[in-house]
Amino acid sequence: MKDLAPNALLAAPAEIREIAAPRSPEDEVIALFDEYRAPVLRYLISCRIPLPDAEEIVQEVFVALFRHLRAAKSRSNLPGWIFTVAHNMALKFHSSGKRRSQYFEDAPAVLDRAESRIDNPEQQFTANEYRIRLMSVVQALPEQDRSCLALRAEGFRYREIARILGMSLGSVANSLTRALARLSRI
Amino acid sequence: MRNPHLADEDLVRSLDKESSPAVLAHLNTCPLCRERARLLQNTLEHFVELRASQRLPPADFARSALRASLENEPETAPLWRKLTMAAAGVALVIALLPIVFERSASAGARPRAAITPGEVRPISLEEVCRSRDAKVVVQGIPKEIQNAVFTAYGMKPDAGRFEVDYLITPDLGGADSVRNMWPQPYSTTWNARVKDKLEQRLHQMVCNGQMDLPTAQRELAADWIGAYRKYLGR
Repeated sequence: MKDLAPNALLAAPAEIREIAAPRSPEDEVIALFDEYRAPVLRYLISCRIPLPDAEEIVQEVFVALFRHLRAAKSRSNLPGWIFTVAHNMALKFHSSGKRRSQYFEDAPAVLDRAESRIDNPEQQFTANEYRIRLMSVVQALPEQDRSCLALRAEGFRYREIARILGMSLGSVANSLTRALARLSRI
Repeated sequence: MRNPHLADEDLVRSLDKESSPAVLAHLNTCPLCRERARLLQNTLEHFVELRASQRLPPADFARSALRASLENEPETAPLWRKLTMAAAGVALVIALLPIVFERSASAGARPRAAITPGEVRPISLEEVCRSRDAKVVVQGIPKEIQNAVFTAYGMKPDAGRFEVDYLITPDLGGADSVRNMWPQPYSTTWNARVKDKLEQRLHQMVCNGQMDLPTAQRELAADWIGAYRKYLGR
């Protein structure tokens, strides 16, 4: 007892509480959903999946995550897991050709809904011009380059991107370089 | 001459702080490459910003839809319980195997008591014991009687894998009637050859005075497989 710092004793009840009342898998999945829904949705849209289908795939991804957690499988790198599953579902979606709607959100439609933080109309115009051009160049990128860029924009590192997309590190580097070099020419 | 500047790939890697010391050293001394790196960096930032400003439908509906599907997810047992149950299942199958095997091995080997209760004809002990052993070869049963037996069992006459046999062997006083015959499968463990051994054994016992004739007949009629185990072991 003498060796224990007073803080150690104070800390104990909190730990016990955490063990006694663990978060239900439902709550955990909802928390992860709140954190990753938008990035995953953006990623799926950049995979040219129409918004309604993308929303549906997001649901499937998180139901799969729920099963994954409930089966007490690996919890390491859950964001990577989420995007890997989303990417695979996107591939499946394209290969099955089960696209529900023919509606595809192109660059201008997305930009119409883009929030603008610029007040000056002239600056706004220039900024919009740039965004439209940026968006159309992105749309014209090869699929793999676009995926790499989208994942990089969501903050993933090369290694994680390679794992999610099932590519080699070298190909990820090539894709990212190609994509950024093209965008930088605008 | 070799281009002294860094390739785009090195510059892009440097944005992710994944570059080698040599690349970093070059960046420190080369304003041109630093400029190029900054351009690539800005491009990436513009792209990130553009994506982040993309207005998505609100999450509320999607969240409650997700919650509803999670609540409807069927309860599944955790892995250890699944494994335990699988192990228990395997153990059960192993435990039941002899019984199941036995069942299938003796399927059809026993006659149906309602159709073939076994019937005897009057015979003296002397007649039974005139020959030293029960005759192994069953005399030919007339075709019409065989067909009648098959019909009684709801089978087509001449069903390939069956032979019409006596339940109580004529050597021990079995009658030549349909009620003493059944279609015995060739292929079970408990086939006619095995039954012949039992019949020889019972014949010996009857003639040695170890068993009376009616008991031998009853043993054959009631459950010849059980009788085999009883008198010949196994």
